[in-house]
Amino acid sequence: MGDLDATHLTTRQLNIRIKEMVQRGEEVRILNPQARHNLAVGILLPAKITFEGSVGYFCSSLMDGCEVEIHGNAGWALGDNLMNGKISLTGNAGASAASTIRGGEIFIGGNAGARAGISMKGGTLIINGNAGFVTGFMMQKGTIIVNGDVGEGVGDSMYEGAIYVGGEIGSLGSDAIVEEPSEDDLLWVWGSLERNGITERKPFKKIVSAKRLYQFDSLERHEKRVI
Amino acid sequence: MVTGNSQIWSPWTIEDIHTKADLGRYRIRGLSTFQKVTHFDDLTFLSTGLTRFPLEGYKEKCNTSTVIGHRFAEQPLEIETPIYITGMSYGALSKSAKVALGKAAAMVGTATCTGDGGMLAEERQASEKLIYQVLPSRYGLNPHHMATADAIEICVGQGAKPGTGGLLMGVKVLDHIAEMRDLPSGIDQRSPTRHPDWLGPDDLGMKIEQLREATDWRVPIHLKLGACRVKDDVKLAAKAGADAIKIQAYEASTITIDSKKKDFRIKKNNTWAKYNTLFSFL
Repeated sequence: MGDLDATHLTTRQLNIRIKEMVQRGEEVRILNPQARHNLAVGILLPAKITFEGSVGYFCSSLMDGCEVEIHGNAGWALGDNLMNGKISLTGNAGASAASTIRGGEIFIGGNAGARAGISMKGGTLIINGNAGFVTGFMMQKGTIIVNGDVGEGVGDSMYEGAIYVGGEIGSLGSDAIVEEPSEDDLLWVWGSLERNGITERKPFKKIVSAKRLYQFDSLERHEKRVI
Repeated sequence: MVTGNSQIWSPWTIEDIHTKADLGRYRIRGLSTFQKVTHFDDLTFLSTGLTRFPLEGYKEKCNTSTVIGHRFAEQPLEIETPIYITGMSYGALSKSAKVALGKAAAMVGTATCTGDGGMLAEERQASEKLIYQVLPSRYGLNPHHMATADAIEICVGQGAKPGTGGLLMGVKVLDHIAEMRDLPSGIDQRSPTRHPDWLGPDDLGMKIEQLREATDWRVPIHLKLGACRVKDDVKLAAKAGADAIKIQAYEASTITIDSKKKDFRIKKNNTWAKYNTLFSFL
């Protein structure tokens, strides 16, 4: 494993060094990331990257196939548009964690801010603590697991996928409904949590789309004649 | 329906009011507004005087080649004319149309743009210069495709519908299009209006840096705005670090839009060239 001390490197210099090490197949450990934005962005090769400290906005975003550990907190849009791979955060995440991810898994050890999993198109987001308002807004596919509570408007306008909540639900968003999880659902949720070191097996509520927004519900007179 | 013979209101105005009353909402349609708007025939170019020197038309050539993004990008976008074919999605348009636009743009030395829904391999192959659009929906956004682009465009708003998302009616959400967008087939697709990962202009600066880092500062980052509060929006976009700022007039739309925006825009904002750093049309 190679260490990179971010203290005296610009973001550009740091990202160049990270990419060079990844291309050589080395594991990378970044010391003193100083909550800087846009670290380890756009890495499209399998790699192991560890941050010893907090990171800023867009950390590990636009990434495919990496395994990332962050020992600290993260700013907005952690793992934005992740294609595949795994991101683990020990602390709290800001707003829009796992925005638009298309695959892979993001684990947040603490709480997540508003709009976690917004426009998710696949993959799994696991939040050990609580999640803020409109979690899973316009979610298209994939799964969100919130071990704690979720805020207002959860699952608002979601298309497909599922949101599992272990704690209290602030309120449901537009077109979101609660349904009974199956035994297989619960086994899958518990297994996903166990993989991330959470062994408590508690009941979960499952939130899905009622699919009432799938089709525009009113047509003009001439449209009714042709459709 | 009774349209009457009003000397004040035209039959289509009365029909429009009746339809909206019947629906209880604004009307939705694609492609164009019913309002009369500026046409290409109305384009007027500022000629020469004391601030610009004239060319002798019979022996001197007018060089219209344009370079965008040389301040930061290693490979700025170089096009033969400051007009390019703006983003229209695969979904709103067919694959054949997207490929045809790419070929046509390549023939005249300019660029085309992916639009919503991601990049088609055939479109990339046909287009000499292809701009990769990053929209609020992020349908089909793929960093592998982004890495092959000649420029990136963050779409904040479209001329036809700034401040609103879009709709792609279910009849157009065919299997392949749905698969590319990670959506169920046949649904009336809603596109969000706000970006999922940034809100204001300060966040936008970080978003621009993210895209630069993702592409290793190789290509320029453009920003597209619908013409609204142009003066202030352009200042904020420039401060955020965009390489080019595109102001789009309100004719444009291939996707279905809510007609209230199209029909009730304030006309003084409908200026083709006044604030443009780059023309954006269609």
